This record gives sequence, C-alpha cells and structure tokens, in this order.
Amino acid sequence: MQGELPGQSVEEIAVDAAINAVEDSGLTFADLDGLIACKSVQGNGNDVTVGQLLGLNLPYVQSLDYGTCNFSLHLAVAAIGAGLCNTVLLTYGANARSRKFDFGRPMYGADMASAAGLVHIAGRAGLALQRHKAIYGTTDEQFGMLAVGQREWARKNPNAIFRKPLSMDDYLAEKYMVEPLRRSDVTMISDGGVAFVVTTAERAADLPTKPVYISGIAEHAGVRGEHNPENLMRPWLKDAARDIWANTGMGPADIDALYIQDPTALWTLQMLEYYGFCDLGEGGPFLAEGHTLPGGDLPLNTHGGQLSESYTWGWMHLVEAVRQLRGQAGERQLEAPETAMYLSSHGFVKAAASILSTNASVGS
Amino acid sequence: MSESPSPVDHPVAEPFFQAAAEGRLVVQHCNSCDALRWPPLSGCPECRSRDTTWVEVAPAGTIWSFVVYHRAFSRSLKDQIPYTVAMVQLDEGPYLVGRLVEGKKPPKVGDRVDAEFLEVGGVSTVRWRIA
Ligand SMILES: [Zn+2]
Repeated sequence: MQGELPGQSVEEIAVDAAINAVEDSGLTFADLDGLIACKSVQGNGNDVTVGQLLGLNLPYVQSLDYGTCNFSLHLAVAAIGAGLCNTVLLTYGANARSRKFDFGRPMYGADMASAAGLVHIAGRAGLALQRHKAIYGTTDEQFGMLAVGQREWARKNPNAIFRKPLSMDDYLAEKYMVEPLRRSDVTMISDGGVAFVVTTAERAADLPTKPVYISGIAEHAGVRGEHNPENLMRPWLKDAARDIWANTGMGPADIDALYIQDPTALWTLQMLEYYGFCDLGEGGPFLAEGHTLPGGDLPLNTHGGQLSESYTWGWMHLVEAVRQLRGQAGERQLEAPETAMYLSSHGFVKAAASILSTNASVGS
Repeated sequence: MSESPSPVDHPVAEPFFQAAAEGRLVVQHCNSCDALRWPPLSGCPECRSRDTTWVEVAPAGTIWSFVVYHRAFSRSLKDQIPYTVAMVQLDEGPYLVGRLVEGKKPPKVGDRVDAEFLEVGGVSTVRWRIA
C-alpha cells in the first residue's frame, strides 16, 4: 500500500502490510519465529513497537535503522542461516508524507556543507551528476531517459502515484530543482507500508503460494563517507558488484529484470555502471539506446521506481521483483522472467545487492 | 522547513572558524601519519591516531563539482535562490564545500577558485570565487 495514509502511525501501517503478507504466504502468525522491523525515516516502527502491535513474542526480533529493503532481507537470510529462526516477517511503515517530514534538514547534523546551503539529497546527487556530465559527457537527454522511462513503466502500474505522461520534451522543459537535477529526477515522498515473509526453501515447498528464491546476496560499506576520495561517485559500489557476481556465478547478461532503488536517478546511473550493465562512464549512451524502457532487453524498475511509483525506501522494488517472477504484474508483466536483481544503497555509506530467481537451484 | 543550523555548534570544527575569522584556511593534520583531513573528525581514519593539530593550507583549489539550487529547502534560504554550491578540492587534497560566487562566466568543473573569508550571521566562513 502506498500514497497518503493520514493519521496512521508507522506501526499501524507496518502491521496492515504484515497482515497482507502473512495471508499471501499461506502461513499464519503462529508459524513465524522471527521479526525484522525497518524503522521509518523518523526512527519509528522498531521491532518492539511493531512486535507489540502484532502480539508476537518470537525467538528472534531485530530492528534496522536503515533497512532499505535489501538490508532487511539480508539480515533475514543471515538469521535463518545461523539457525536463529526459520520463518521471518520483515516490516516497513512510513508516513513521511502526511507527517510532512523535513527532508531539507541536514541528515547528520549541521556542518560546513549544510551551512553553505548543501541540503537535501538532491544536493550531493546533483554534485555527482554534474561531475559525471563533465568527465564523461553525459547529456540531459541521456540522463532524462531514466525519469522518462520510469514514468512509462508507471503508466502500466495502477498502483503508481505519478502516471501522467512524461515525454522527453516535457522532461527537458521542467525547471531545474537542484541543477543539474530536475524535479522528475528526484524521488517523490509518499506514505506506505510493505511486509515480506522469508523462510527456507524446504518450508516454502509446503506452501500454496509460488515462492521466489534468493540466489545470492552481497553488501559493501563505504562508511568513510566524505573521507573517501571521489566519495560522491561512490567508487566502493564496485566491491559489492564484484561480490554479488562472484557469489552467484552470474553476470549482467543473466538478469531478466533489474531493480535499482532510486532516491534520485543519479543512483541508478551509477549502479548501472558499477554493476557492469555498461562500462564506467557509458551510462548516458547506454540509457539513450533504450535498453531499460518497456520492450527493452534490460527492463528497469518495471513498477516505476521511487521517481514515479512510490517512496518506500526500495521496498516496493522488491515487491515488484517478486510479482514479476511470480507472473503477477498485470499489464507490465515481462515474458516469463526467471532472474531478477535488486540493488540498493544507503546514501553514500552502504550498498547491497540481491539476485532472486524462480528456480531454487540457481546461484549459491 | 528547517532553518540553516550553525556548524559552529560542532566543537570539533571550532578551530576552522577561529582561523577563518583571521582570514586563514586550516584543516586537520594527523601528527601520526601526516594525513590532512576535512571535514573534521575526532580521529584519523587513515591510522586511527587521535593526535591532531590544525595546519594552514593554501586558500585555493579546483572545482570538483557544483550545483545550482533553484529551490529553497529552508526559510532562511528562500531569499538566496538561485545560489551555487561548489565542492572544491584544495590543492593540498581535502574537499571543502562552500558557496560559489558567480563570476562573469558560468562555472565549470575544473575551474580554479580562491577562498574568500567573510562573516555571515556572526559566523566566519569561507566562500569560493573563480580565480
Ligand atoms: Zn593518521
């Protein structure tokens, strides 16, 4: 669920999503033995407050400050692998829109940069894009393919919040928000809640619902942050890329559907390059060739992503990957996709990658 | 909407503002491994030493990148848009973010810039001007 949910706490939103997810899985709440709660941007909705509303005393409960869905998913994989639990509920609830959360506030407190007016995620993303344009010659038309393409996908998604047509001319005519970023290059803000049930392949085999298998995961941190050379280019993403391909024995050509969490389109551009879907610096020409659009050979964020569908810290990206692999994506359903990749990051400090498959034996 | 908070509230950065008031640009220096660092931290991420001094560096560098804000994300920025913020790589290495004063030509990545020292709202700070 996403959109505007006024008057609801993030815990209530997370619980509603959890009820839907448990019902969809064919399990009951009594079958769960783990809960991983992703806190909202305001810090609410942890394992204790969500677990209490769910009425669950479980063997394993945990919270993530920044559970951009991949990180929550990976913690579930690790907890199951360690034998701490077997069947884990992941929850996320957000009401940043109806509560008018201030995204212009400096994320890590006041510093020289925020005092100079470098505020909002669009500021640093804009710096990275400007640098990309200067070094590699990336043009507005090339970069705009992301915003335009996301809208094309969203137009096939009845759940998407932004569905008005957005042509390249419309895009180029938009005023800059933080130049070189336009409004359509930056995430919307919405309320929303998402939940998943993660369990072992053995347990899933007994369930009536078609499962989606996790073929491999990888993470890498860049927590040196501003003390990394070329930090805003996020060069450490290539380490997560190296590991996800090594962990699964796969390569970019094996991916039928790609999901990239996109607080701004710049994140998508960087990840296309570092994960090897095109060469470093070649993101612009690659996008211009139309690979990521409906009908292209690398369908990207087939729900519309955070630019056009909803703002849920990447959780809806995983929902869409699962829907596509299950064949439940309606008008935008791809032709029998078998493998999906989901890439996300926590700003300029962490990266995570997952590969999902319809086949239990694919990957590690 | 938020108001621009003062970075002076961060005690670890205080020597920077004291020096800026005297027209000098300083960054942290690790006495153990000689690394220069900015933004300031309580210890050195290169060698984990906390033996730190502040050293003066040339108030000059190169535009690593820049952005132009056409939207104000706080009330106090409203009468300032459009404004330009640059990330400048100092000749000594560290990156330092500041306002960029518009020159005769639009700024470009790679332009040389000099630091100017000024007081804004009682706080001494640095902005960049194309050299
Ligand atoms: Zn050191």
